[in-house]
Amino acid sequence: MYEQIIDFLSLSDPNVRTVVLGSILLTSSSAIIGAFTFLRKKALVGDAVAHSVLPGICLAFMIGGAKDPLILIPGAFLAGWLSMILIDKITLHSRIKEDTAIGMVLSVTFGLGILMLTFIQHSGNANQSGLDHFLFGKAAAMLGSDVIIFSAIALLMVLTVSFLFKEFALVCFDREYASSMGLPVKRLDFLMTSLTVLAVVIGIQAVGVVLMAAMLITPAAAARFWTDNLKLMIIMAAVIGAVSGFTGALVSYLYPSMPTGPWIVVVASVFAFISFFFAPKKGILQYMIKQRRIRLMINEENIIKAGYHIGEDRKDFTSSMTATDLIRRRPMPESKLKGHLAKLTRQGYFRKHSQGWELTNAGYKKGSRLVRIHRLWELYLTEYLNIASDHVHEDAETIEHFITPELEKQLEQTLNYPSEDPHQSKIPYE
Amino acid sequence: MIKEAKNPVLEIHDLTVTYHKKPVLWDIDLTIPAGSLTGIIGPNGAGKSTLIKTIMGLIKPSSGYSKIFDKPLDEVRKRVSYVPQRGSVDWDFPASVFDVVLMGRYSDAGMFKRIRKADRELAMDALQKVGMEKFSKRQISELSGGQQQRVFLARALAQHADLYFMDEPFAGVDAATENAIIDLLHEMTGKGKTVVVVHHDLQSAIKYFEWILLLNTRLVASGPVTEVFTSELLQKTYGGKLTLLTEIGNLLQREGLPARETK
Repeated sequence: MYEQIIDFLSLSDPNVRTVVLGSILLTSSSAIIGAFTFLRKKALVGDAVAHSVLPGICLAFMIGGAKDPLILIPGAFLAGWLSMILIDKITLHSRIKEDTAIGMVLSVTFGLGILMLTFIQHSGNANQSGLDHFLFGKAAAMLGSDVIIFSAIALLMVLTVSFLFKEFALVCFDREYASSMGLPVKRLDFLMTSLTVLAVVIGIQAVGVVLMAAMLITPAAAARFWTDNLKLMIIMAAVIGAVSGFTGALVSYLYPSMPTGPWIVVVASVFAFISFFFAPKKGILQYMIKQRRIRLMINEENIIKAGYHIGEDRKDFTSSMTATDLIRRRPMPESKLKGHLAKLTRQGYFRKHSQGWELTNAGYKKGSRLVRIHRLWELYLTEYLNIASDHVHEDAETIEHFITPELEKQLEQTLNYPSEDPHQSKIPYE
Repeated sequence: MIKEAKNPVLEIHDLTVTYHKKPVLWDIDLTIPAGSLTGIIGPNGAGKSTLIKTIMGLIKPSSGYSKIFDKPLDEVRKRVSYVPQRGSVDWDFPASVFDVVLMGRYSDAGMFKRIRKADRELAMDALQKVGMEKFSKRQISELSGGQQQRVFLARALAQHADLYFMDEPFAGVDAATENAIIDLLHEMTGKGKTVVVVHHDLQSAIKYFEWILLLNTRLVASGPVTEVFTSELLQKTYGGKLTLLTEIGNLLQREGLPARETK
């Protein structure tokens, strides 16, 4: 097993080279085209096209009698296009909505394809063996001559995208504007659709019709989490596609009887999951960390504020306070309070004594600022939004943590440095 | 009351547009004077956006035609610019503010061709005109409504056209942006450009526009703001649709009848 992997990775076997090159080309080019499918929100249409390619392949085989890509590709391409037109026509001319039309076309054409495939398999035609590989893909079944044809098509697709990149992007973003400029939107649409169908057609060798849509969409969806730049997104999608394709080829080499499509799609999905959870800015984990940080900041600031309030009551901001004093002001479990206090002491907002804690100068300043913003905001709400003074406290409790120094200044100027809040508490300045 | 413009940049003849067989614009005939700031005013569903989309060739009329600078649209595309409604695109698209403004240069740069340095400079100039140069690298999903509208305007400015059609540029923008936009539009018309704006706020319409179209499926009036803003004409525009017209429209739709005989 280990030796086989080394053998594969060394790429010394020309067959391995063929399969690896073919797989990578197929999956990365479909990921590139798929990025536009993704941006046009046509993922489901891609799925329907992929499934409907099967009857096209079967019919081409029945007519041509051989498993030659030069026969099968045109058949598959036509079938894919017809299904796309069918979806459009059904949506346009009947009361059936697009999602239903997609579902109908997908299941009907795939059913038809399976029917024809079964028929061929029982026809006794010796050439038919391996036709069923188109269902779930089999990278290792690619021959050198297939790879040449696939590579040529993949290269053509990538070149088309790079030449028409800005036009494609514009049509995806704002069709009507593109049209208003006199861009041939219908022809560009036709071209993009043809490329999608073509990507499906050549991709099914490695991925299979059932899972092909995932190969179009998943790399782009994963890449979108990492960048807001379209070019970068497409390059990342292509890389994810290539890595997935490479894995597929490896699996196909190690376990010849295993279909490659599921492996390729699983690898691409792992990328998608990692992106979903761990991408900076847009990932779930980042979001959760940020939420946690905000909660922590609010808790700590509330403790400082409690210390300030105690000082205000005692008219002495340097007096020392116990955990019980603070908990009376701001109820929370004592262990939690002590944890926060230890951190705030380390940060220099509190000083620890034998009897308890006292606010440092920095702590006093921070507490006074929070109270100032709280009371200013309450005043703003009662004066400018006409909210009753007994309704403004809750709002100010949250806002006090988020007001920036600029907004604070604006608030002071708008209200003209008032001395008291709506509850006749003094507003502290410094 | 339909007044002929003396020096028209846009002429529309007998324009009828149907949507799912239902006529949304009936027999529109109008002219718009050069260098004017023109407002298209009317209630919701009056066909205001449909009118400018039809002029821009985005919707095919059932009958009639429009001429721009006395020529068919296709011959003068580069002199005409269109600002779609802000809500018509997905602002989560992976693009920066600058990317979007640069789109205004695509038709001039040409298909297959690369964007030139000059195009980038013109795009940056356009961003400056709307006061958004600081945001050029910002991802478009992070913009406020007013900023999105400014970006759309900048994109149109980058086209350096002579005639502009804008669909609801004041919808959902803050007061500062509205003022900035109206100043910009006046500056443009001051330089001889013609700007046609779909607008639905009557009060500001009187202040903003020189020439007004009152539209409610049919054209109620077209002319200088002082002559068009009469209570009688406004009543005609906003006082409900003509019942008979609506009835016939509904009949056509229900029975799947054509609005025009096909040859």
